Amino acid sequence: MNKIYDYLIIGAGPAGMAGAIEASKAALSVLVLDQASSAGGQIYRNLGQTKPQQAFVLGNDYLAGRPLLAEFMAANCDYKPQAQVWHIETHEQGFIVSALINGESTTYVASHLLLAHGAMERPMAIPGWHKPGVMTAGAGQILLKSSGLLPKEVILAGSGPLLLLLAQQYRAGGVTIKALLDTTPKANYWRALPWLVAGLTTPKQLIKGLWLTLAQRIKVPYITGVSDLQITGEHSACGVRYTVAGTVHNIACEVIMLHQGLISETQMGQLLGCSQRWSDVKQCWHTQVGAAGQTSVAKIQVAGDAGAVGGGYVAQLQGRIAGLTRAHNAGKIQTRQSKVRLIWLKLRVKQLNWAQGLAERLYQPAKWLSKPSGCTIVCRCEQVSAATITSIASAGCAGVNQLKGFTRAGMGPCQGRQCGLNMGYLVANAQNRPMSKVQPLSVRPPLSPISLGQLAKGTDW
Amino acid sequence: MTDSLFSCLIENPLQCTVVVNNVEHQVPAQLSVAGALLYLGHRQVRQHSVSGEARAPFCHMGVCFECLVTINKGQQQRACLQQVMPNMRIDTVTKELTQ
Repeated sequence: MNKIYDYLIIGAGPAGMAGAIEASKAALSVLVLDQASSAGGQIYRNLGQTKPQQAFVLGNDYLAGRPLLAEFMAANCDYKPQAQVWHIETHEQGFIVSALINGESTTYVASHLLLAHGAMERPMAIPGWHKPGVMTAGAGQILLKSSGLLPKEVILAGSGPLLLLLAQQYRAGGVTIKALLDTTPKANYWRALPWLVAGLTTPKQLIKGLWLTLAQRIKVPYITGVSDLQITGEHSACGVRYTVAGTVHNIACEVIMLHQGLISETQMGQLLGCSQRWSDVKQCWHTQVGAAGQTSVAKIQVAGDAGAVGGGYVAQLQGRIAGLTRAHNAGKIQTRQSKVRLIWLKLRVKQLNWAQGLAERLYQPAKWLSKPSGCTIVCRCEQVSAATITSIASAGCAGVNQLKGFTRAGMGPCQGRQCGLNMGYLVANAQNRPMSKVQPLSVRPPLSPISLGQLAKGTDW
Repeated sequence: MTDSLFSCLIENPLQCTVVVNNVEHQVPAQLSVAGALLYLGHRQVRQHSVSGEARAPFCHMGVCFECLVTINKGQQQRACLQQVMPNMRIDTVTKELTQ
């Protein structure tokens, strides 16, 4: 019989690390499973091994993760890197979590779960986004963090803080940024204004954000009001074509990085039956999470960007809240000091809430980006175009799950992560339904592909 | 294979020998397999199993499965999640192989 852990945490980003630190301090038995080869999540990826040249380019916010990483590495918890969770099922003692580690499936049993697996980039389905040479801004940053690679020249396109941060880092690294094409709709600025005012409560963060925004506008060929963006080039990307104020422009470049914000990963929450909600402000589905990380399912908590995209610092606070709450509920700590600390942590999250509100409104994706059309590929894995999906949706297809059966869209190895949201938009558009009424793609195990051999070898039943 | 669109900013990195499509190369040891392919100038890493079109690493975080390659003649796996290892055999994927 496997050991039964008190707390199994999925993800070793800021939320997962902080949750593990707090829970293990309270003498709970903790296991952390993480997909990456070293702890840190995407934000602090490879932080433990980073070289001085990388550190210079990546900047202080990246290096600020060092104390947390050190605290996590010293924590009395079990940590398995390169563990790809492919299934979680409920069990009389809690949960059975199956993960692929070194090509072998291993199962773990835990009484309680913390999902801290973070977010992914919102898929930006523009014509030609599947061509070699096009990648996401997150990919650009990961290449820099984990491999120390920089493109020689690049076009950055889309909207969102990560795009600006990457521009800043690429400038520091001497990359030629041929253009930063900003697709943020002008109306978003007005919508975001009240949240900017709310940001005056934490001026340090506000100034940092404003400086990041302004510096790129001054120092990079920065083009606003971009629409009808598409990738040019036949077999691989040769450049972009876009429209500003009715005029079409072309820029040549063989590396193009796209970004339009982050969306929470919901697949694990969905699989476990945690209730999901569509948010018109966030423009994505997300697991409903309470102030202490609790979900609609008992013994499952969510922390960090996996619940709502609030950035690394908030994720760390939420991870601590989740871990402390778990320890309190287990009766492991009951001191007044820890209760006060929990209240303080929750207040701090509330205080920083403005940044999330601001980012959600300011960087809400432009409407035209949620209406891919014609031969634009929506499902990259199965090569299904927007026109195919729209024609079937217009013929009265019941929803994205039926669309999957008709077109194979969402059936490939990415399990609908790259196409599910856009399939929903196309159904909603074709049938004139609100997104909240178009159910997301159902999630079934395996959460990531596993071969029959691996499956057979790993089972003990 | 053409000139690389990427360069490594780490000065004098530790080198590692890898064999890509039967050709031996030296690459910086800290690279992911996907990073190594880009560094070596591979614009595409696989042919799409449906359309045969060229595809290349896209998300670099294990979400998109665009960077599938075979490593040491094993099953196809995501090149972005693996680190290069000494004498690792990396083979890019053609449509025929997928089918």
